[in-house]
Amino acid sequence: MAKEPVAVTIDRVTRIYKNVKGRKDVVAVDDASFVVDPGELVTLLGPSGCGKTTTLRMIAGFDLPTKGAIRIGGEDVSSLPPNKRDTATVFQSYGLFPHMNVAENVAYGLRIRKVPKAEIDERVKRALALTGLADYAERSPGRLSGGQQQRVALSRSLVVEPGVLLLDEPLSNLDALLREQMRVEIRRIQKSLGITAVYVTHDRVEAMSLSDRVIVMKDGRIRQIGAPSVIYERPDSAFVAGFVGKVALFPVEVRGVDGDACACTLRGKAIKAGSRAPGAAAGSPAVLMARPESLRLGPPDQGVVDGTVRQNVYLGSSVESFVTTEYGELLVQIDDPAGKRIAAEGERVSVSFNEERVRVLPASAD
Amino acid sequence: MPLSEPFVFTKDKLLKFLLAIAVFAAVDLWVYSTVRSSLRANAAETRRNALVLLARSAPEDAGLRDDWLASIADSLPGGAAVYLIPDAEDPSAYEAIAVDEAALELWNGIASTDDAAKGLESAYYFENYASSVKATLSDTPVRLFYAPVTDDAQSELLGIAVFMAPETADSGLERLLTLFALGVFALFAAMTGVSRFSRDSTIGYAVLVLSGLAVVFIVFPLVEAFRLSFLTDGEYSLAIWTDALSGAHLQSLWGSIRLGIWTATASTLVGFLFAFVIYRTSARGKKFLSAIAQMPVISPPFSLTLSILLLAGNNGLITKQLLGLESFSIYGLGGLVLVQTIGMFPIAYLTLASVLQGLDATLEEAALDLNASRWSVFRTVTLPLAVPGILSAWLLVFTSSLADFANPLLLAGNYRVLSVEAYIQVTGRNDLGGGAALSLLLLLPTLTAFFVQRNWVSKRSFVTVTGKPNLKLVEIASPAVRIAMTAGVWLVIAFVLSLYGTIVAGCFVKNWGIDYSFTLSNIGEALSRGKDAIRSTLSLAVMATPIAGLIAMASAMIFVRKTFAGKRVLEAVMMTPFAIPGTLLGIAYILAFNKTPFLLVGTGAIIVINYIVRELPVGIEGGVASLRQIDPSIEEAARDLGADEGMVFKSIVLPLVRPAFISSMSYTFVRSMTAVSAVIFLISARWYHMTVLIYNFSENLRFGLASVLATTLIIIVMGAFGLMRLLVRDTGAFDKTLSR
Repeated sequence: MAKEPVAVTIDRVTRIYKNVKGRKDVVAVDDASFVVDPGELVTLLGPSGCGKTTTLRMIAGFDLPTKGAIRIGGEDVSSLPPNKRDTATVFQSYGLFPHMNVAENVAYGLRIRKVPKAEIDERVKRALALTGLADYAERSPGRLSGGQQQRVALSRSLVVEPGVLLLDEPLSNLDALLREQMRVEIRRIQKSLGITAVYVTHDRVEAMSLSDRVIVMKDGRIRQIGAPSVIYERPDSAFVAGFVGKVALFPVEVRGVDGDACACTLRGKAIKAGSRAPGAAAGSPAVLMARPESLRLGPPDQGVVDGTVRQNVYLGSSVESFVTTEYGELLVQIDDPAGKRIAAEGERVSVSFNEERVRVLPASAD
Repeated sequence: MPLSEPFVFTKDKLLKFLLAIAVFAAVDLWVYSTVRSSLRANAAETRRNALVLLARSAPEDAGLRDDWLASIADSLPGGAAVYLIPDAEDPSAYEAIAVDEAALELWNGIASTDDAAKGLESAYYFENYASSVKATLSDTPVRLFYAPVTDDAQSELLGIAVFMAPETADSGLERLLTLFALGVFALFAAMTGVSRFSRDSTIGYAVLVLSGLAVVFIVFPLVEAFRLSFLTDGEYSLAIWTDALSGAHLQSLWGSIRLGIWTATASTLVGFLFAFVIYRTSARGKKFLSAIAQMPVISPPFSLTLSILLLAGNNGLITKQLLGLESFSIYGLGGLVLVQTIGMFPIAYLTLASVLQGLDATLEEAALDLNASRWSVFRTVTLPLAVPGILSAWLLVFTSSLADFANPLLLAGNYRVLSVEAYIQVTGRNDLGGGAALSLLLLLPTLTAFFVQRNWVSKRSFVTVTGKPNLKLVEIASPAVRIAMTAGVWLVIAFVLSLYGTIVAGCFVKNWGIDYSFTLSNIGEALSRGKDAIRSTLSLAVMATPIAGLIAMASAMIFVRKTFAGKRVLEAVMMTPFAIPGTLLGIAYILAFNKTPFLLVGTGAIIVINYIVRELPVGIEGGVASLRQIDPSIEEAARDLGADEGMVFKSIVLPLVRPAFISSMSYTFVRSMTAVSAVIFLISARWYHMTVLIYNFSENLRFGLASVLATTLIIIVMGAFGLMRLLVRDTGAFDKTLSR
């Protein structure tokens, strides 16, 4: 299945659902722009109603942009129907044809494309082998497990060698273990085929572990685009920071900016944060974000914030310590706890920062 | 999930579209006017030649001149001629002769004009002259044509014929040309519109065709019926409605309503009895009971009435032969209520069956557990829960009874109902407008009942409240009550079966009521006399069936999955025929389709279209219900894999809604085979219907022949019904459509 991968360009796309019966117009996607490079897997991540599925459906052609253009491999496809676009979608509910068996399901796209019979058989066989379904060709989809149905849907999309593979929360109907397996498998297949893919999910772990880049959306707007590590370590906003991982936020005053680093004060205590978001500048309200792994516990009065340990949760490779402070409950992660002294529940402690790791963000509502 | 939008309108597209059709309109107009003027020139030439020939036919003999002048009125309809005899002495003087006073008057009015002088001068030089001046001959616009009348040698001028030929406003050819030009333009506009605005042209054309169908075959005829009910002798007046709202006709309206109330009440009672015994008691033979209870809905019209007449008519087996009653008459309200109840209680039964079947037995159990007696459980739990269903059943039967035409036609006697009255107005008095008015009058109670049922009663159903109902049976009838109810049910069943038995028996009796000896001759005679009717009935139904099924499923797909401006209106219009009595639709069709551009009366097409339009709503409803349960991603997946809309419909939608598709086809077939109320207005000698033939035989007291045809029809319909059951395991959808 060697085919030149193509790029997908979303160019200032807006989708407005007109009001029905006096209700207000809904702006599902608001002026979104991004480019998916050839062969790249990009995830659209966000809470439900953020516009990620609408964006995907517009790429597939099920929905039309109110404004803006969508280009696939340089061609403007904005007004083309789905059947004229070089995309293949794996649906959340799979959308398998109940009146056809597995092989017929997979062959459907090839039959539509009038591929010769012998070649269809050959390619269906290969696609089923790729997803480990070789033995289920004659089964009816209704008699397969959720994971197997998922694989049929994936094979059916891959067999037509689409320019772009679209995945709409494909794993949300599977149980946790299967989800993890399929995640790895989807990534393996996508990489081995070098296919351009857009993946929609509301699960941050899925997004982090699968993607080359993640696009975080909220209320129809794109909040940040970046590699998983960037999104996690260097979020631009409190919303993104909170959506992709556990985070503690402290209101701070920015005193001075030195390149990426940033000097600020938290209730008079000076902190030199290792990085700052572009929006954080002296004089504007800001928050300091710290991931659980950037926080340390120490004896009282020696850190930034004092508190009491409420509960320790032992996780093997780490201990999660919940500390009650004047800033609310903080989660402190203590890695490799073996041999370390862990403050007991009820003990007074202080929490200090790994200043290299903390980051100053603009304190907007989101 | 948002519905897909098959049409995209942008300012840019709209402008390009308008530009394209404007250019086309200009070209179309140019071609049209060129062809028209050459047509006109041609016509003028033809007329000129004809007039010259006419002038040549003028007799030399003065005695025959008057006859010749009189004959002009025939050869030149609406026109006339004046014959001028020139004075031998004075070239400018002449004597004018005419048989038509108006023609002479016209001539005298213009004789001194320059144009007339020019005409005369031409004639003196043996030349024809066609005047371009308009004149009026007794309210008809005419043109004058001067032709010299000469002797055979063409040497001497005998006289001058001045023809006053009426201007032919539009020749047939010209009308055809206009229609063609308009048609080409409409077609071009439609096709450009579809290709310009629709994302997939299949859907575009489908919506276009459906809209066309709805406008031409639903809206237009109904509007025509309404409009023509206000027309008397070509002028708008209220005369028809004054007559329709007069005492006699209002009495028929009241008669229809009274019959409806009685039938609905009786049918609901019997239907409830059946539903209760079958779904709420442990009585035996439920499958059999249920099957027999559904038979009357699919049996042909006239058959039950025929059977009742055989048993209890003036020469009935029971009334006359067995009991020897003289004064008893089955004709009238009593007989009608009996026949309609037998025919329509299945509607009530099917409605109530789904209610009682879905009733959560846990509720009854809970009530019993709280120490309620069985009777009070029924009174306080079962019955109140069934009330919306009972109301629904009552209204459905009421509507059917009002729209019923076949039973009253044979059995009403002196009792007057509106549907028959409308029929008589049309066929007996040849008063189409009056018939339209009367059938529109019938719309009032039927539409009221229909909307109350649709929008009010059906929304008050309690049945679907709980998640998973307990379908285990709780016996709330005491043994004595149960036995009594079961006995009642079996009594009705026995009666129904005896009615069918009577029809079959009627086939083999020489002369019912007089000579009960066995014979097979009825069969031969009925089949040979009914051969053509059977063939045309079957072929019309077979033509309508797949078309109706396909259109119903395609409409369902469009209505459920697509969204576009005007969809709701289209949906509402397509569902309208469901609420309209067949009589009205039949009358509306003959009013609308007996003239250009839709001259369809007398063809088989109009009957097929009528079947399709009438049975579509039920098919669409079935398709919609079925499609609503199917995950839209399945179709999206197909589209995504490259299938266009037509392919999605063929390879995905149709197989998935197969049960609804087959049900809608069998429903259409059965209803087309047993149609009468609309089709009776549309049949012709070439396209006859078996039901009408059964009616004719019954009217002429040829009960044997009627029985044979009715039996044949029952066998065909039952066969179709059985075939459908074989093809579709789950017939729930069909049972539901039947109760509509």
